[in-house]
Amino acid sequence: MRPSLEYRLRQHRRRMVVRSWEYRQRRHAHGVWFRLRSVLANARAAYVISGADARTLLAEAHRMETVGRELDPPKLIIVAPSDRIARIASARPVAVRLSAEVLAAECLALTPFAEDRPLLKPGSQSTPAGSPSTR
Amino acid sequence: MAFRDRLVATIRAARPIVELPEILIVGSEVPNLLQPGMAATMVVSLDLDIGVPVHRHAAVKERIGELVEFAPSADEPSVWTPRSPHLLEVNFVGMDPDQDPADAYVLEDDRLPLLVFGALSLVGPGPAIDVEGVTVRLPQLAGLLLEKLVTDRTGEKGDRDLLVALGLLAAASPSDLDELDAMYRRLRPELRHAVRSNLTLLSLLEPRAGMPDPRPRRADVAALFRQFNTGEREGS
Repeated sequence: MRPSLEYRLRQHRRRMVVRSWEYRQRRHAHGVWFRLRSVLANARAAYVISGADARTLLAEAHRMETVGRELDPPKLIIVAPSDRIARIASARPVAVRLSAEVLAAECLALTPFAEDRPLLKPGSQSTPAGSPSTR
Repeated sequence: MAFRDRLVATIRAARPIVELPEILIVGSEVPNLLQPGMAATMVVSLDLDIGVPVHRHAAVKERIGELVEFAPSADEPSVWTPRSPHLLEVNFVGMDPDQDPADAYVLEDDRLPLLVFGALSLVGPGPAIDVEGVTVRLPQLAGLLLEKLVTDRTGEKGDRDLLVALGLLAAASPSDLDELDAMYRRLRPELRHAVRSNLTLLSLLEPRAGMPDPRPRRADVAALFRQFNTGEREGS
């Protein structure tokens, strides 16, 4: 086998071994990153909030995402409607990604995407007039 | 020379191969070709991936000598490098519909050895399009999108590949998405997990120059993620 192809094949198989390991880890500590990304992926917006405001949201029975407790130091991650978060004075918007800001926050409030939203909204499809003709 | 012109010129120069039956254009140039007027605005690698079903290898090899504007790379035998700076590299990849999506193997050959990636077993033929006088066959969108999402992605190249998947998602019709869902359900659990994991990565990507901005599409990605999660056992 040509060395370059053999090298690429070996690299591919190594990645598959790592991926299988990650899959086996999915219910264990390492799987927390997938779980955290999943929670963030379902959030339309994210806000850093104070501990006092986080406790208020909890007292109002807004949902706490347990993945925050799987990190050290732990985080309070609470999902609440955007109109409720708009009334929180301490709320500071942050980009929804695994940034230093998000990882450093002790308390995060997330607003969810509408769960009944269809995958494709009318008009959102971008295959356009003038695209290549199909035969 | 604009990238679009290089892409079109490369397809024309590769005509002896790309017009062969069952040969597909695969990879990151597909969403570029699907853009209005084949605008090719997405900045991806400077190559054209040509998918060769393994049972068509002999037919491709028979005509490979007609690629007069390219020469085989000494370093990478599945790559043919252009003799002109106005063309892109051509990269041949093998496709084997019977292969496991997580596996890969080398189809040995003195002239045109192929690395056959299992994820491409998910990709089937789609529409033929006219690229300025050359008829090329694209993959069916759902299979290519699933291939992009099931493949392990790391680093800058991985992020860009996920944004290519976003470009495909943006071009998907409702029937493409139905097909995507059906294909996803047929994957084994580990691969379904890999797809969902890549969707979470895609959702959290920062914008990159020359690529679709992921932020306005986050709701679509979240909806697809939720759809794929439906019916999955928690933690699976």
